[in-house]
Amino acid sequence: MHIDLKKEIKESGPGKTGLFILLLMVAMALLAPVIAPYNPYQQSTASLLPPSLSHWLGTNHVGQDIWSRLVFGARTSLLVGFGVGILSTLLGTIFGVSAALVGGFYEKVLMRIVDAFIVIPMVIVVILISAYIRPSILTLILLLSLLSWQGGARIMRAQALSLKERGNVTAAKSFGASRFYIAWRHVVPDLGPILLVDFIYGVRRAVFMEAGLAFLGISDPTVVSWGMMMRDALSFSYLNVWQWWLVPTGVALSLTIIGLTFVGHAAEPVIEPRLRGVEIA
Amino acid sequence: MLSKRNFITYAIAFVFILLLNFLLPRMMPGDPLTAIYGDEALIAMTPQLKAQLVERFALDQPLWQQFGAYFLALFQGQLGHSYYFNASVLSVILGRLPWTLLLVGTSLVLSTMLGIILGIESGWRRGSKTDRAMLAGLMSLNGFPDFFLGMLLLIAFGVTWGIFPLAGALTPYSGLSGLALLFDVLRHLFLPVAALTLAHLAGSYLLTRNTMITVLKEPYMLTARAKGLSQRVLKYRHAGRNSMLPVVTQTGIWTGRVVTGALFVELVFAYPGVGYLTYEALLARDYPIIQGVFLMVAISVLVANFLIDLSYPKLDPRVSYAY
Repeated sequence: MHIDLKKEIKESGPGKTGLFILLLMVAMALLAPVIAPYNPYQQSTASLLPPSLSHWLGTNHVGQDIWSRLVFGARTSLLVGFGVGILSTLLGTIFGVSAALVGGFYEKVLMRIVDAFIVIPMVIVVILISAYIRPSILTLILLLSLLSWQGGARIMRAQALSLKERGNVTAAKSFGASRFYIAWRHVVPDLGPILLVDFIYGVRRAVFMEAGLAFLGISDPTVVSWGMMMRDALSFSYLNVWQWWLVPTGVALSLTIIGLTFVGHAAEPVIEPRLRGVEIA
Repeated sequence: MLSKRNFITYAIAFVFILLLNFLLPRMMPGDPLTAIYGDEALIAMTPQLKAQLVERFALDQPLWQQFGAYFLALFQGQLGHSYYFNASVLSVILGRLPWTLLLVGTSLVLSTMLGIILGIESGWRRGSKTDRAMLAGLMSLNGFPDFFLGMLLLIAFGVTWGIFPLAGALTPYSGLSGLALLFDVLRHLFLPVAALTLAHLAGSYLLTRNTMITVLKEPYMLTARAKGLSQRVLKYRHAGRNSMLPVVTQTGIWTGRVVTGALFVELVFAYPGVGYLTYEALLARDYPIIQGVFLMVAISVLVANFLIDLSYPKLDPRVSYAY
């Protein structure tokens, strides 16, 4: 497993492109108040204006500045994405590594639950729950994390199973190290690259889901999001406003997901080393 | 051969789905009647009806008895009554189901087959310009949410060029029959299927390509080459067939994704399937329909996964030795 993740991403064309796109989006989200000329929630009578110097992407049906909403929408998308990415990777590591190290009945029960969650279609579960609770951003992050750590846990467990047979673990055990110490000092650090791949795919899933829920109209209606903007734009598809309303929003969302896909794919040899040596542009 | 392990996995998944559907409305704050029967039911509510509804799901009984009543009703095929559509949930869903099956079935077959063929071709030429272009192109396509692809197709081919209809599954009141009807259905089906197929093509493509690359390194490929077999036989019979196996195991998971993808695409094209129904029910807060759709979709995906698990050892004999 001695594959250098940084090198792997740097040597891949799409990997670099993906990283660049992601950094751009993150910068947009962080600097939103600086970049956006208007308050994204402020309504005005100037509705459905075409693009102009004062409104780069025109205004929407209630007179909000579309460019400002687009910029602030990046915050929602990335907040949910990174929030879920971090939490679900954390949960996956805790359950995956503990299953491998504790073993026995605990491992059996845990892995059956993990398998069960993998066959359940997550999107429809999230839609059902959201239909009832109309989640806020924080609830959505928790909900998506709870439903999406299972895939990672499986990979982490497999990896931890092989790591725990290594010499350094045996040595630590013979010195009387506790399971927790072994997990923390000897197993988790060696999971490094896998954690990152799991994290990236977690982020991607969450960005997708958040946009989808907002598009269906079951997300927090008080927070601007790309999915919600596309939903609004869809009802005006008979006008030419899609050119500056729908398309830029959809492109921003797609670019974010493409960026994540590229980085994830470039890093994938970490999980499947046999793919290495295949130059993928 | 079905292992015990598999069986337990599906049993847990099934119980989770039932419990979620049962507990969620009952844990909501406020009157459980609203959460179970939907907003529309309240308008029609009389004390008499209320007593009847409470009785039906044993809402004045302890939770476990409520679950008994719920499970019994399900077992008898009763998914409840939609007050919004004023019909039984089952009949509303069954009325919409054929359209969704048509949409999902066509897209699933098309995207899997195209994905496999492109994956084999791309993996065979790994590292070449064609391979790189295909990989980058399909991975980018993978980033487009299905509803965005749908909207782009709708605006381009529907609104701007007017080649395909904008909404629905049939021309209303056209009185078409026979071949003309078939043509009308296909014309309405084209854009939604295109959106779903394009959005889900990358999954089977990437997996086939990845497997293809590993398979090409196998010693038997060298043997086959040494025997002087033609490129076509090498590519499709020796490498291609073996590269398809992982795709088959994933089909269950993709079925789930395409079905949920259809929810979004149907909304864009106002295609009158189960997805559009879900959207209408979400707007009207018609919870019985939402619950019914959830139950049907989740369970069909489980069944699809289950059947694929069953068939897999037949396709790849190595699997049955492994257990």
